[in-house]
Amino acid sequence: MTAAVRTRRSGPRRRERALPMDYPLLVCALGLLAFGFVMVASASMSIAENCCHDPFYYIMRHGLALGLALTAGLLTYFVPLDAWERLGTLLILLGIAVLVLVLVPGIGRTVNGATRWIPLGPLNLQPSEFLKLFAVIYVSGYLVRHAESVANDLSGFIRPMILVGVAAALILMQPDFGTTAVMLATVMGLLFLGGVSILPFVFLIGVVGVGLVALVILSPYRWARVTSFLNPWEDPFNSGYQLSQALIAFGRGEWFGVGLGNGIQKQFFLPEAHTDFLASVIGEEFGLVGMLVLIAAFAFIVSRAFAIGVRAEILETRFASYVAQGIGLWLGLQAFVNIGVNVGLLPTKGLTLPFLSYGSNSLIVGCMAIALLLRIDVNVRQQESDARLKRGVKWVRA
Amino acid sequence: MANARRRGRRVAETPRAKPNLRLRRQLIVGGLSLAFAVLAGAVFFRQVIETDFLQNEGQRRYLRDGEIAARRGVITDRNGEPLAVSTPVETVWAEPRKLVAHLDAIAPLAAALDLDAAGLRQKIQDNAERGFMYIKRRVSFDEARAVREAIAEHGLQGVDFETEYRRFYPGAEVFGHVIGFTNIEDRGQEGLELEYDAQLEAVPGLHRVIRDGRQRIVQEVEQIRPPRPGKDLVLSLDRRLQFLAYRELMAAVKEHKAKGGTAVVLDVATGEVLAMVNQPGYNPNGDRDGGSERRRNRAVTDVMEPGSTVKPLVIAAALEKGLVSPGTRIATGPGVLRVGSNLVKDVHNYGTLDVTGVITKSSNVGSVKIAQMMDYAGLWDIYRKVGFGQPTGIGFPGETRGSLRHYSQWRPFEHATMAFGYGLSVTALQLAQAYGVLAADGIKRPVTLLKRDSNDPSMLPVATRVLSVDTARKVRAMMETVVSDKGTARRAEIPGYRVGGKTGTAKKASGSRGYGGRRYQSVFAGFVPAGNPRLVMVVMVDEPGGSSYYGGLVAAPVFQRVMEGALRLLNVPPDDPPPSMLLVHRGGAS
Repeated sequence: MTAAVRTRRSGPRRRERALPMDYPLLVCALGLLAFGFVMVASASMSIAENCCHDPFYYIMRHGLALGLALTAGLLTYFVPLDAWERLGTLLILLGIAVLVLVLVPGIGRTVNGATRWIPLGPLNLQPSEFLKLFAVIYVSGYLVRHAESVANDLSGFIRPMILVGVAAALILMQPDFGTTAVMLATVMGLLFLGGVSILPFVFLIGVVGVGLVALVILSPYRWARVTSFLNPWEDPFNSGYQLSQALIAFGRGEWFGVGLGNGIQKQFFLPEAHTDFLASVIGEEFGLVGMLVLIAAFAFIVSRAFAIGVRAEILETRFASYVAQGIGLWLGLQAFVNIGVNVGLLPTKGLTLPFLSYGSNSLIVGCMAIALLLRIDVNVRQQESDARLKRGVKWVRA
Repeated sequence: MANARRRGRRVAETPRAKPNLRLRRQLIVGGLSLAFAVLAGAVFFRQVIETDFLQNEGQRRYLRDGEIAARRGVITDRNGEPLAVSTPVETVWAEPRKLVAHLDAIAPLAAALDLDAAGLRQKIQDNAERGFMYIKRRVSFDEARAVREAIAEHGLQGVDFETEYRRFYPGAEVFGHVIGFTNIEDRGQEGLELEYDAQLEAVPGLHRVIRDGRQRIVQEVEQIRPPRPGKDLVLSLDRRLQFLAYRELMAAVKEHKAKGGTAVVLDVATGEVLAMVNQPGYNPNGDRDGGSERRRNRAVTDVMEPGSTVKPLVIAAALEKGLVSPGTRIATGPGVLRVGSNLVKDVHNYGTLDVTGVITKSSNVGSVKIAQMMDYAGLWDIYRKVGFGQPTGIGFPGETRGSLRHYSQWRPFEHATMAFGYGLSVTALQLAQAYGVLAADGIKRPVTLLKRDSNDPSMLPVATRVLSVDTARKVRAMMETVVSDKGTARRAEIPGYRVGGKTGTAKKASGSRGYGGRRYQSVFAGFVPAGNPRLVMVVMVDEPGGSSYYGGLVAAPVFQRVMEGALRLLNVPPDDPPPSMLLVHRGGAS
């Protein structure tokens, strides 16, 4: 490395050499984490005061989760990529096993009718959050291992969907429709990127799409959510309550917002203000400008992920490439769905805003994803410089 | 190697084109970009285009007009001691639609507030759709604390507090009749609280506030109307004299097993009422039951036949007209006087008395004879001038004017009974006012319950001369003889002071039996110090049930005790120091 850098100093591309890591991505992610901490503080204080007689209840826990998440990110950063590639199948199997555990009565923890957590001391483990990352790693590895059959055979394309489908079914049983949808969409996007043949893919999209739509229509509460999302003002005190309150928050924000801490909607009008509806609080307190910056930040992270993926593909490190693109796809989808739900673009479902929302599992997985991206980026940079070095040496020798 | 072979085979086996990965990626990235653009558009729509509608919807949910509690005026005695004060207390209210989810916790809540749990539960269920309901207004400090504990213990949602003012009456039953009380809406219901309600009334302010999802005020948007606190009211009453008078009247009513009683103390120089007490009493801080029987301010609302207490007025009128002098001799023997077909009787045959003696012994015959020296109009005139039969203008709800029939309607016997206090009725306050004329050297000053500032001449009422100074002094001198060994009210003597007064023992008329029943009203009216009177007091004990019922035995001791204390409290110098006191004084001076 040192030698490479020294050699490159005399090379033609000066600007790239100065950065041994994708600092803009790191800064953007850390910025979102910090902003999220502030917004969770703003959104949760009155709720915490009410529920736990301690306005700092959620803030302290969020801070602790942030510490855990950064540690998890750091550890992830030092895990070699090969290890992920090798352990991909094992990880998803492990994830599925834990998902099964969640559904075992007496182990899983139920909140608001959804059984998503396993209590572990002061924290709760939410395996579905991890499954999203594991699915990306597993499918990426599969795409590399079975590139041939994926591209040509229906079976090679169906096979990875079996494990993912099992995981999806288990998550759906919690029930957690939002996470299921994001995970399936991510995996299918990844398969598409990985070169599956078009016809079976279209067929699969059809099957999954019809399945999800059927689920929505057959389940009264989901159907109510969909219909109320279309017109929350029809019944603003029952089914449309949460969305109408979120929309009011956005309406109050106007261009520049009412100012940090001055939001009213979080004062017991808006349920889940510090988790799934944090974007509404941001919209109220920082206005359209704040929301556009937030959306731009996510767009930036997604674009960086794809850029890293492309560079890895050029170097023919296809696993790294798929993982990077999968992460980009997943984070982009989840941010889109979460904000879309907040502004009434999509039916209400419980999904966190990555890096910002209260919830330790979401934070930890988010940090691990960014760490993976940074790891891949560093690997790519190293290989690029190695390649240049070789070329340079060859050139000198020639 | 393997890669190369595979690639080679695929090229060989499948003529299909290699999937265009770049295009696919561009599709995906393009899709995500589109999604983010749509997101930005949606946010723009909500925050800029739809903002008015959304803000309006929001305001409908959290903007409320709320009252700002204002404090009702304080009522104090003449020295600034509080008699009616408004203290901020807490009112417990609930959001029934939230509370219905905690019906099991209603019992502890009801227990904390001393309410009926079943009734409260029913009330909450009846209002289950509503967002606001009072649970209990103006609770005590202990109750508020108990509610807080119940909320914390059972995790109650939808129970909260707001500040209201609660009226407290530190004077309790001692001042209850005069001050009255307010209702739950803080409006005066009785007594001075009612009379001066407009002045005391606090007008709550109005402000537009933002309430959070739990109806708590988060922010004040604008103040529509500032709260206007009520104006304070300073009474002429002296708390010390009031307590003293109340204690002594209560003791007398108890001792003589009487039905009730009333007493009034006037400041001679200003016409201010210094004390006005009644029995039986009630506590305006409490539940106020017992009906108007206990709540009436009898000194103003109830009438009595004044009986012998009017005799000094009769004599004053005769003196004023020059018909008699204090030494004029009146034959009262044989103690019975026929007027038409009726008889006027004395208790004993006093033989021939001088005019002073008529007062001293309280001779009905003597008084009638003196009255008969005047025409009807002359007697009516003096009663009218001292204020009988007309409102005193004191400003008290439910004041009675008493009755004094016009002389043109009098029959001869009525003329006679009027001379010893029957056939007309007065309130204790009117009697005190009339004695105030004698005490103030013949000047009548309207009585008042409000403090008159002696430094401000405009505050002093219009004084009218009713009797000459000379007449008033002569009558007072006669009345001093009543409070002596020879008179009827020896028990009113106060060591060191000259005391003047007159007893009265009026038989009470009852509908069917006329004056036949043995029911009396024992009265004593007097002034101290007699030389230059400062205080006038009227004591009436209603239907004493014991063996004694004479005014001199029942009412005079009350006068004595109250006035003795009052003179000391007001630092009135003795005008008749006993020799021993003079000796002490001289000894101290040398």
